[in-house]
Amino acid sequence: MIKYQLEKHYLKTAKKRVKVCSRCIYDERVPQIYFDAEGVCNYCKLIERLSEQYGTNTKLGEENLKNIINAVKLNGKSKKYDCIVGVSGGTDSSYLLYLCKKWNLRVLAVHYDNTWNSSIASENMRKVLQSLDIDLYTLVVDNKEADDIFKSFFLSGVPEIDASTDLGFTETLYRAASKYNIKYVFEGHSFLTEGITPLGKNYFDGKYISSIHNKFGTQKMITYPLMTFWRFLWWTCVKRIKRIRPFWYVCEDKEVMRKFLEKKFDWQYYGGHHLENRITSFFHSVYSPQKFNADLRNNTLSANVRNGNMKRLDAWREYNSDPFIEEELVSYFKKRLCISDKEYEEIMNSKPKFWYNYPTYKKKFELLRPIFWIFVKANLVPESFYIKYCFPNKNQK
Amino acid sequence: MITILDYGLGNIGSLKNMFKRIRQNVNITSSPCQIIKSTKIVIPGVGSFDEAMNRINNIKGLKEALNLKALHHKIPILGVCLGMQLLTHKSEEGTLDGFKWIPGETKRFPKSSKFKIPHMGWNEVSSRNLKSKLIKNINHDDRYYFVHSYYVKVHNEDHSLLKTKHNIEFDSAINKDNLYGVQFHPEKSHKYGMKILKNFSEISC
Amino acid sequence: MLRKRIIPILSIQNDSLVKTINFKKINYIGDPCNTVRIFNELEVDELVICDIRASLDKSEPNFKLLQDISSECFMPLVYGGGIKSLDQAKKIFDLGFEKIIINSFCFTVHNILSKIASSYGSQALLCSIDVKKNFFGKKLVYSHSGTHNTNHTPLFWAKEVEKRGAGEILLTSIDREGTWKGFDFDLSSYIAKNTSIPVIGHGGASSINDINEILSKTDLSGVALGSMVLYQKKGMGVLINFPNKRLLSQY
Repeated sequence: MIKYQLEKHYLKTAKKRVKVCSRCIYDERVPQIYFDAEGVCNYCKLIERLSEQYGTNTKLGEENLKNIINAVKLNGKSKKYDCIVGVSGGTDSSYLLYLCKKWNLRVLAVHYDNTWNSSIASENMRKVLQSLDIDLYTLVVDNKEADDIFKSFFLSGVPEIDASTDLGFTETLYRAASKYNIKYVFEGHSFLTEGITPLGKNYFDGKYISSIHNKFGTQKMITYPLMTFWRFLWWTCVKRIKRIRPFWYVCEDKEVMRKFLEKKFDWQYYGGHHLENRITSFFHSVYSPQKFNADLRNNTLSANVRNGNMKRLDAWREYNSDPFIEEELVSYFKKRLCISDKEYEEIMNSKPKFWYNYPTYKKKFELLRPIFWIFVKANLVPESFYIKYCFPNKNQK
Repeated sequence: MITILDYGLGNIGSLKNMFKRIRQNVNITSSPCQIIKSTKIVIPGVGSFDEAMNRINNIKGLKEALNLKALHHKIPILGVCLGMQLLTHKSEEGTLDGFKWIPGETKRFPKSSKFKIPHMGWNEVSSRNLKSKLIKNINHDDRYYFVHSYYVKVHNEDHSLLKTKHNIEFDSAINKDNLYGVQFHPEKSHKYGMKILKNFSEISC
Repeated sequence: MLRKRIIPILSIQNDSLVKTINFKKINYIGDPCNTVRIFNELEVDELVICDIRASLDKSEPNFKLLQDISSECFMPLVYGGGIKSLDQAKKIFDLGFEKIIINSFCFTVHNILSKIASSYGSQALLCSIDVKKNFFGKKLVYSHSGTHNTNHTPLFWAKEVEKRGAGEILLTSIDREGTWKGFDFDLSSYIAKNTSIPVIGHGGASSINDINEILSKTDLSGVALGSMVLYQKKGMGVLINFPNKRLLSQY
């Protein structure tokens, strides 16, 4: 096991030395981490297992993907679109649009607009969609509702301030699929380039969101696309909408994807994973590191190290440097959510709360584990969901 | 610290916002005492010449304080839009005298079916004096937002900094020693305007 | 050379950004501040914000929202909706707006145009003229968000507001608004030719071609865009955008 000197000056409880995985840069502070005899962490092992299972970047992976694409085309006959691709203006979804066009799929791009997009996100989407001649479906949540939900999460003290965007996005994909009678939703997630978010971190489900909102919100939830458990069952069991992650089978290097997008579409990079949306940017660059001592850049940095794109020492150094924060991001956050400077400081310094302090569907997911395993096998639910949600969490109190 | 003169007419909010974006502190005031203490002043202005001069003349001691700072202490002063017109002797728009700091007049654009009045929109400038600190790094295709029905013509061509064409050629920026004026609105001209205000903030007091 | 302007026009209702078709059928677009921020980053020439309910509801402009919007912009901002007094006009100018638009209250508040013009100058005052075909197909001026027929012809009213002190006209074809059917070429051309103050054409833009054509062939000083800058394309999802300047001709 390698031990590194910890240099993060903005963390409140800085340790002198931490145990770090010998293969990536996840360290002992990552929830539910453990190391084997060679110092390799369980997350590296998990990625290894998934790569083998899906045949990522091997003939097996290519073959699997080819079969899926054929099934998608067959299903799409006599319909206007073959599949849906969820888009945000980011690297993965933009590149996935290009690939789908290359695979001769007729795509409907779908975007959930939480009303906090940056101009980079809008411009990236516009440029890529226009160039590839792909139609866009958007669900825009009412800005006052969106802000009320974000503010509820901020007031509650839990880390997942952007949970409503993630879940709202998934629900929007399902709704668009249902509207246009499309059976396949393509998502741009890649465990190779992004890693798997550690278990117990960034938990979200429909009940969690409505619990927090019921307790701290003031506006009625009318336009926000909430995915309740029953809605989820409707989409999976009745509508049988499948979720496919092409990058789990065939995955390009992220830098290569970016350079390609820049050259072909005049696409612009926005400085970090998920920073094309301001609330997500606030979460990653300010809220999570400053209030929860949790800097999620280690997900992507570890992935870069595993893929050989970055030296471990360089990744560790970058992880320990200050995150990029868009100018005036915090003042925009406070202005939008009508939070005074005093209130902001109070909440940022208050004791953190976690998802297990509020009602969620977690126990239900755990009880229904065998059913979810069937869903995974039928491509109705991503395996990463099964791994994160259907097993008891050791950190739960 | 940059002082923005508040006499009731002008884009003070927008100027303040842009100075804030370029990390400059501003003090907004109409008090002659504070004007006397300032080291750099911006005179904004949106509206009519006489209305502006009336308001300034009606604040006891203000005109005297401004004259002191401009002509004796010689601190950098920037007039914006109507503010620039006030630096001249008088205007065809009204009957009152301006500050008379830069010899020149403010005249009305000639009526024309092709060139509408007010001169309103984004236009280019041509530079007369590249050495001037106010326009040291501007490019030939930089553009600025104009909105005015009257234009300035200085008596001495050495005081003309930038020229713009709208039917006729007029002075879009002027300068005499420590006194500067821009006819366009830098606070509304995106990054181009930001350059001008940044340059002004860097002029030594 | 003075460029012709291309101006996004945003409609606000109850603190949210919306889009109408023919001044009816309201579609939700998003958050006003964030959208304005995006347009600022796209360096648009100018931005028009209209509160589409204020004159009907007889409510005051939402000054707090306007302040938030103004703090996001480094380009000219224009506001219209419910302005009927010099006081209100002053408040809006103080917030950082360059110009204000008066429409419905031109007809009901005595001398409002001349009052504002003499204090702030004509260049700070726009008059919005909304035109719709009546039952017999004649184009007439309508006020109060297209609900009240004033019985004036567009040319008569354009000349009238110019006389009263307006510095610019925002000419909207209600019949074309939100339809993607192209500008009302005849109306825009006619009014622009017969007034000496700038006229901005609005209503129906569907493509860069439409913009290039109308700006090169008429005396319009600019165009205002609604649906084109708010949606990806006709019938598809919301996506804030602005025409690529390289594709626009020089006028």
